Amino acid sequence: MKSQQALNILLGIYICIFFTYLFGPLVIMSITAFNSAEFPSVTPWECFSFRWFNEGKIAYDGQHLAGLATDWRLHEGLITSLKIGLGVVLLSVPIGLSAALVLTQVHSRFRTAFYSISIMPVLFPGVIIGISTVVLWDRIATMGGGGLATQLGRNGVFLTILAQTCFISTYCFLIFVARLQRFDQTQEEAALDLGASQTQVFFKILIPYMMPAIASSCVIAFLASFENYNTTVFSILSDQTLTTVIASKVRLGISPAISSLALVIILITLTVTIAYEVLRRREDAKKREIEADALYTQTLDSRLKKVDKNTFSIPKPIFGILFVIIICIFGFNKLVEKEIYGSACIAATEKEKKSNFAEQLKLLQKNADKASQTSSENGDTDQKKEFGDIFGDPDLFKNFGGFDTKKKDAP
Amino acid sequence: MNYFFNKNGPLISTYLIISIGFWLVFLIIVPQLYMFDLSFRPNIPTLLRGGPDDVYTLVHYKHFLFGSETSGERYNYVDVGVFLDTILIAILITLINLCFCYPIAFYIAKVATAKTARLLIVSLIIPFWINELLRSFALRILFAGEGFINNVLIKIGLINSGINFIAMDVALYTGLNYAYILLMIFPLYNAIETLDKNQLEAAEDLGSSMIRTHFRIVIPHAKAGIASGCTMVFMLTAGALATPVVLSSPNTFWFTQLIYQWFNMNDNWPRGAAYSVVLLTVSVVFVLLMMRIFKVKIGEIVR
Repeated sequence: MKSQQALNILLGIYICIFFTYLFGPLVIMSITAFNSAEFPSVTPWECFSFRWFNEGKIAYDGQHLAGLATDWRLHEGLITSLKIGLGVVLLSVPIGLSAALVLTQVHSRFRTAFYSISIMPVLFPGVIIGISTVVLWDRIATMGGGGLATQLGRNGVFLTILAQTCFISTYCFLIFVARLQRFDQTQEEAALDLGASQTQVFFKILIPYMMPAIASSCVIAFLASFENYNTTVFSILSDQTLTTVIASKVRLGISPAISSLALVIILITLTVTIAYEVLRRREDAKKREIEADALYTQTLDSRLKKVDKNTFSIPKPIFGILFVIIICIFGFNKLVEKEIYGSACIAATEKEKKSNFAEQLKLLQKNADKASQTSSENGDTDQKKEFGDIFGDPDLFKNFGGFDTKKKDAP
Repeated sequence: MNYFFNKNGPLISTYLIISIGFWLVFLIIVPQLYMFDLSFRPNIPTLLRGGPDDVYTLVHYKHFLFGSETSGERYNYVDVGVFLDTILIAILITLINLCFCYPIAFYIAKVATAKTARLLIVSLIIPFWINELLRSFALRILFAGEGFINNVLIKIGLINSGINFIAMDVALYTGLNYAYILLMIFPLYNAIETLDKNQLEAAEDLGSSMIRTHFRIVIPHAKAGIASGCTMVFMLTAGALATPVVLSSPNTFWFTQLIYQWFNMNDNWPRGAAYSVVLLTVSVVFVLLMMRIFKVKIGEIVR
């Protein structure tokens, strides 16, 4: 038994490590969103600020780095993503539902084949679905000769909706199949015997029964569409969605504005998950209560009678929330004490960086002047070589303010 | 067919037939077939399509294997190399993911109490719903030249100057592992969860060791889950584009990036289509292989 315990402890440690691996990068990324430095980092901490959520900043060298609230490309991408998500939900949920319904009715000989084809899109790499949609619609657009087909075939949003619907329908299909397996067919038969038409049966019995599955497949379809990149990047053509904007930003150079965007998304996800979980638990508790009551009325056993608890007990989550608030206040105090929060701190670091940068510009100018002087004295020979030497000055990048050397040089 | 109409009524039948026909034919089958067809066509301007030059050719597949005709190399070492690298690393990452996830899945399914298991599953789902690009970005912050890991390592004195994780591809492999790890856990968890706990206890009572129990009871029982998880992770890793875009070093290519280049930068769609067909073939072969090895049906792989 002792070895069993040791094993369980080891397993516990392993799980802790695993969850650190899972959440650590996300936590660190969230922290970098509050650092005012141009490069998202934790360790050379500059100033605590919310600027990446608001206006961004103009870097010491004049480069404009947009924040979350001022980045219009991000906003446009977000709107396109929402449009596409809506379109995908509207198409893929009905398709998934109909495929699941037909699966229950199709002759058993064809069932495997039908099922295999239906789940194939999930097994295709996402890039291939995007590519195949684009090449097909390019052909259709060419043949369309300027009509509606051409316009549709060259519309990135339309193509993306089609391409994403191709595989997201399968997700919906799988959700519906799982729910339909527990459907009691006698309900349908009873309704038909009582004189309902098939259409009525569909709307009055089947749809209400499928409602939870429809809701969850709507959510899943929207989320899957919203975060898709592999398919979208091919089918979007000249438009931009949120994910392609993020990708192009990351490729050009990473900025803390992306961290702040990620933090916003993480917070939304967390809120939704917690709300869903709370609702679920409440429902479970209610169900249990009803069952207990039913048992009591059946047996009339006094041991099963529920005793109303009148004593007030503090709900446990409040402790957690209090703990987080205390940590926040404490941390903020520390920030103020160390003077690494607020406009004064930002102004100081900015000034230092700017002066560093200005000095370097001056040095560069001086070197260039010297070089042009010597080259004109020598009669314009070897001009290239001389100008190349401008950057060879060892003083030049000594305290280059762009990255993290600043803290070490500061007195 | 008559039976079908009788059962569903005219309105619903029409809806079912139209939506399924649209999906199966128009979204799944025709685009793939057209891409397959395009991969055998020469790269000519749109105006010449359907003209006398538009004949079937193997030139793109030849290019993939042997390189362009002007190069002196016998084979196309660059592209084939990228391809083999992608496949091998995807297989490796799949195996590593399996080893990582098996204990977790077993813990959640059989060891933990119901409440803990529920909590763990919810906290597993949260990172899964955050965009793959953003998760890769988080790793990029960690692995950057002036990033978190380097700074910590320098501070505790293990290294003197920063290690370039991105050029060493450490960042890329970690990112690919990180991105799809959850798709391995859930199928494994679902499979192990159905195992009767009494079997484990019986094995223990009969004197079987822990490891033996796992190899003789748990793993055979969970083989459908293992097949499913491995297939999903391999497919997504081999077909990943977001993670390589963020984390790959400038001189490393993932096969999907190669396809992307033929498509968007070199504007050679038929060649991009040919390379896609190669990737698709590998995917299909892998699925069939998994079905053969684990003796499962395709329905058990995707659930």
